[in-house]
Amino acid sequence: MTEIEIALVGNPNVGKSTVFNRLTGLRQKVGNYPGITVEKKTGSFTHQQTRYHVIDLPGAYGIHPSSLDEEIVYDVLVDQTNPNHPELVVVIGDPFNIKRAVFLYQQIREMGLPAIFVVNMMDEAERSGTSIDVSKLENVLSTKVVLTDARSGKGIDQLKDALAFKPNGYAPSFVIPEEFTAATQYVREHTGQRNEYIAWLYLSQKQNKHLNNNQVEEITTARQTHGLNYHRLQIREALARHASLENQLTGVIKDPAKKKQYATERADHVLTHPVWGYVIFFALLLLIFQAIYTWSGPFMDAIDNAFAWLASSAGEWLPAGPINGLITDGIIAGIGGIVIFIPQIAILFIFISLMEESGYMSRVVYLMDRWLRPFGLSGKSAVPLMSGAACAIPAVMSARTIENDKERLITILVTPFMTCSARLPIYIVIIGLVIPPEKILGLDLQGLVLFGMYALGIVAALGSAWVLKQLMKSKYKSYLILELPTYKYPVVRNVLLNVWDKTKGFVWGAGKIILAISIILWVLGSFGVDERFMNAEDVVRSEKPGISETDFENEVQSQKLEYSFLGTMGRFIEPVIEPLGYDWKMGIGLISSFAAREVFVSTMATVYSLGGTDDELTIRERMAAEINPNTGKPAYNFASGISLLLFYAFAMQCMSTIAIVRKETNSWKWTFIQLAFMTGFAYIAALGAYQLLK
Amino acid sequence: MSQHKSINQLQNGETATIVGYLSDEIPIKIYEMGLLPGVTLTKKQQLPFNGPVYLRIQDNPNAIALRKSEADLILIESIL
Repeated sequence: MTEIEIALVGNPNVGKSTVFNRLTGLRQKVGNYPGITVEKKTGSFTHQQTRYHVIDLPGAYGIHPSSLDEEIVYDVLVDQTNPNHPELVVVIGDPFNIKRAVFLYQQIREMGLPAIFVVNMMDEAERSGTSIDVSKLENVLSTKVVLTDARSGKGIDQLKDALAFKPNGYAPSFVIPEEFTAATQYVREHTGQRNEYIAWLYLSQKQNKHLNNNQVEEITTARQTHGLNYHRLQIREALARHASLENQLTGVIKDPAKKKQYATERADHVLTHPVWGYVIFFALLLLIFQAIYTWSGPFMDAIDNAFAWLASSAGEWLPAGPINGLITDGIIAGIGGIVIFIPQIAILFIFISLMEESGYMSRVVYLMDRWLRPFGLSGKSAVPLMSGAACAIPAVMSARTIENDKERLITILVTPFMTCSARLPIYIVIIGLVIPPEKILGLDLQGLVLFGMYALGIVAALGSAWVLKQLMKSKYKSYLILELPTYKYPVVRNVLLNVWDKTKGFVWGAGKIILAISIILWVLGSFGVDERFMNAEDVVRSEKPGISETDFENEVQSQKLEYSFLGTMGRFIEPVIEPLGYDWKMGIGLISSFAAREVFVSTMATVYSLGGTDDELTIRERMAAEINPNTGKPAYNFASGISLLLFYAFAMQCMSTIAIVRKETNSWKWTFIQLAFMTGFAYIAALGAYQLLK
Repeated sequence: MSQHKSINQLQNGETATIVGYLSDEIPIKIYEMGLLPGVTLTKKQQLPFNGPVYLRIQDNPNAIALRKSEADLILIESIL
């Protein structure tokens, strides 16, 4: 069977992902491009004895990128050694913007790549009376043209047939102006590139990441000797192509309907209204958060009960002892602590995905731009900040659509302040322990504190964005040029696939860390080399003679924990965290939280069960009963509880986020600044709160 | 060339044709999105406090939003 690599390329908002989902069905996977975290969607299918491997490249308006995700398109298409370099390109456009799609198509053909052309969203065109002269378009493009409507599946079979087409005989439509041929000639001679248009692209691109230093130097030399500015070359090409496209495409689109009062226009009259637009957006946000907290209730209760049952049956079945504690309190409770957030994360992603699919998300960008700009952010930052309420990892990745480097960097740096779902279990447990279940003005006090924590996250994100804006300089002017596509009914299949990908990624990522941390903690807590660990029984006997048999057991257990490797680590950092109101056991919780904050509760469960012999108490009861040996007060009292809440609100305690920020910013410097700033700020806030309240 | 207005000076609901740009240093995206000389557009609305403008391009169901700073760069001639 022959195998062919194909790439889908197209302008944003043409339904490219829907075409991809139609072609590959569920046989697709999401990964990352090497070295960067731009989401890479690949899939495969078999048609007429040929195996097609499809890659869905990010949406782009042209081959000259304005943002990070658009850079991928150029990198993959220009570099024949790129592992994703395709043998055939499928360029997808929509009937209303055919010129823009042909613009991109011509650039790709002139790079020497074979391509076919798809006009998607034909149903929408037919409804508004637009039709396309396919044979004329095929003549202009010298390739096969397929009309599809991916939402209903129309034309997908014809598209599969068309993939066997071998396009040839393409005549370039952009002739390199004579004044530049000396420069392109020089580039061709000194980089070994034979294609003249690619030589032109080398000159007109800001970056050519796939070339070696020597080649890049030659290109710089060519620009200098001929006095070329890459940006001017891009504009030169864009204007020339548009001028010739005007003639080439005459008569291709028949557009008899002149009475175009689009439904979208009427909807936008309200949805982007200077007043109603905001009212509706904030009502929608309220609905989303309401849904996250109320709709998820029954599911979360069911999951909670299932894991409680699992833990208690495992606890009965396994012999009593530390392994029992590891499995029931550490692993089962820890995994349960993640699984329980699936309903909330899924609901949030359903809404975000619906907003993206329907076209409303672009309106959010439009509405928010003016209000986020004073903080050094762009309207496009609204999407990462909102997603940050679920999980910072996909949120940081979604910042890649922000064109301006400074706005993108600030967005990435402040998004982890948003209250992600991993903070929720800690907030809920601590608030339950230290805030009395009272009502204030008819409102639940615990609920108000939780709401306050969310507000605090937003204030911290915007405040630090403002600080960063004052400190950073930008080489590039910030701009917003945003397409607001027509409203569409979301394709259920696309929404479900998206929610599935995101939720699975979160659960797998966090689940692996919890499992690993639980086991490491258990090992560190069960072994030690200290004299008082090795001979705990003798030490207790000699220090406390006459102690009763049960007390003796407890005393030995807690001393063993205190002098195990884990206890040594906790006691080592105790001087640092004592002013915040924590003891060494909570110190262990803090240390393990630097892997992922959601492990705090399961860590405390492991620590307390290692240190005691009583398996009856739930984790919450155990935490409530715990006494801080330094102060003699309950470990989780009002002052230390507020201090813990503030620490978890601000500190950067998520290895996956640190890793993603490192990848996305491509800078250790900013990653460390973010880690130090967030954690330092958290320390100061927690210190101040504890010292004031104790 | 006489003094041309920019998109910013349009009233809501006013239609105009693009005639050129204020400078060479404008984002390539403006060209790629089809905001080219000869194109007819209508300003539909603008958000408060000098917020972005909402434009419709003739015969295109998708709308385009620009910040005030970009709208300043695009010169137009009103159609009466």
